[in-house]
Amino acid sequence: MKLIELKDVYKIYNEGMENEVRALDGVSLSIDRGEFVAVIGASGSGKSTLMNILGCLDIPTYGDYYLDNEDVADLTNRELAKIRNKEVGFVFQGYNLIPELTAIENVELPLIYQNIPVGKRYDMAMDALERVSMEDRADHRPNEMSGGQQQRVAIARAIATKAPIIMADEPTGALDSRTGAHVLEILHRLHSEGTTIILITHDGNIASTAERIIRISDGKIIMDCPREEAGAL
Amino acid sequence: MNVGQSFKMAIKSIWGKKARSALTMLGIIIGVAAVVIMVSLIQGMNRKTMERFESMGDNKIEVYASKWWGGNDISDQLYDYCLSLSDLVVGVTPQGYYYPQNGIKYGTNSTSNMEYGSPQIYLGSDQYSLCNNFTIEKGRDIAYLDVENYNQVIVLGARVAEFLFPYRDPVGEIVNIDGHKFEVIGVYAAKDPDSQWSMDNMAVVPSSMNRLLNKRTSFDSFIVKAVSKEATTEAITLLDGFLSGLIDSFSGYYSVYSQNQWMESDQSYTNMLSLVVGGIAGISLLVGGIGIMNIMLVTVTERTREIGIRMAIGASRASIILQFLIEAAVICAVGGVFGLVVSALGTVVAGKLLLDTVLMPSMGMTIGAIAFSVVLGIVFGLYPAMKASSLQPVEALRGE
Repeated sequence: MKLIELKDVYKIYNEGMENEVRALDGVSLSIDRGEFVAVIGASGSGKSTLMNILGCLDIPTYGDYYLDNEDVADLTNRELAKIRNKEVGFVFQGYNLIPELTAIENVELPLIYQNIPVGKRYDMAMDALERVSMEDRADHRPNEMSGGQQQRVAIARAIATKAPIIMADEPTGALDSRTGAHVLEILHRLHSEGTTIILITHDGNIASTAERIIRISDGKIIMDCPREEAGAL
Repeated sequence: MNVGQSFKMAIKSIWGKKARSALTMLGIIIGVAAVVIMVSLIQGMNRKTMERFESMGDNKIEVYASKWWGGNDISDQLYDYCLSLSDLVVGVTPQGYYYPQNGIKYGTNSTSNMEYGSPQIYLGSDQYSLCNNFTIEKGRDIAYLDVENYNQVIVLGARVAEFLFPYRDPVGEIVNIDGHKFEVIGVYAAKDPDSQWSMDNMAVVPSSMNRLLNKRTSFDSFIVKAVSKEATTEAITLLDGFLSGLIDSFSGYYSVYSQNQWMESDQSYTNMLSLVVGGIAGISLLVGGIGIMNIMLVTVTERTREIGIRMAIGASRASIILQFLIEAAVICAVGGVFGLVVSALGTVVAGKLLLDTVLMPSMGMTIGAIAFSVVLGIVFGLYPAMKASSLQPVEALRGE
């Protein structure tokens, strides 16, 4: 069963003007539940735009997007917020933690928007922190943690709601290879537990750990195949 | 997200930027304090004036009538006319004056030695105290028979009694006024104990003493006491008509007027004054409100990325708006409460210094000021909040 289906999606900035940019230029793809997909491409290829659209952070200029067989274009702002809250967990390159809040408060935030009562919320957030081995840093603020630790907290935030999809945009981009490997390991563990993972990266080594590789260039998909058929990355 | 959570977040964010929040609140504090102190002061001033008018005697009509020929005393005619107005008028008295050359003497003590001057002696009827809002504290008042029988009796004002008889009951004692002996029959209760030029620095003798003290038999000043404010207005018109039939411009002069007219014009003047001053102070409150909007706009711009993050993890437009609105409202409400504390202190101090009385802001104004602050926060917070929530998550995430 298809979880995600894009049909001929365009994202065009400054359309019709001289400086028109086609960040996505007729992209069609589908992703099934439980897949581990790496989207690979050079910077400026449109891979981040793809993730923003897949994660309902942005809307396509043209084309249809079906999430769980529902046309996203028909959804209200409130329903889109609900999808970002319950269906998708984001992991960004820049971590995107709120600096005024401690680790646990950051992880609790998506649960707050779900109106989960305090006690249960704390347990769920603590559980998520434990899964990324960050429970002893629960009361630290982001600026008191290393990059790798911050990224692990960000992952904890993404998984706290038990969202069925994790979208990670260059999650290891700002980390050294050892901490990067650790973050990747966490993503693989989540995948083995049934979570659908969409990993955006420019790094072939990281992409090569995925089950399926989608290569994107100038807003177009130029390759979409299982890892085994992708050859050297 | 519920309101309680938004509230906690707002407090957290305000507390996180203490200096800025405090400066923003300062605008509200000054605005609220300015409005409340100004309006309280004017209200206090007004109340004080009204109290003074009332203790001098409200609903009091002063009649002046003098005839140059054709029999110059209108006392009896005026008295009879007032009797015929019994549903409007409760009392009437002639009002004569005598200023004793050597003061009122008791033994070797004379009121000439009083610090703020010797008292005026009034000549009046048995209705004098009624017309002028005096009440008897000791002994008895002037009686009708005292006037009829030319009794040499005197009722002392509280200030005079206190000066002449510090250690004994004045009732029954004999005082001397420029060689004439008067028996003290009573003392009026003090009604103006604090001021130097006290209304209690006086004494009253029967109007028939006019012949003895002033060597005259007629009066040209009278006081008529009406039952109410409305009756005062009506009685003035009637008295004016009555006197115009009695005295024309060739034979004499008359006037009828009431302090109520002063009170009314004073009242409308203070109402206008509180509007004007309150309005000016209101401008500073408005400036404070614009300060809030400014700060909220800066906050929104600064926190665009945070807004993006919140949207990415599931905040709806409504919860973003709610968060910023509550933040603005809380800043304003806290500012309003501090403003009230400042204005309560300011009102007490200013009231003591300027009006020598204890003033407090009224309950209505207190509730009004806080409610107004919150409304101010919501109104001026709405635009920045709408602005914050209208972004696409991805645009907000790009913001630094």
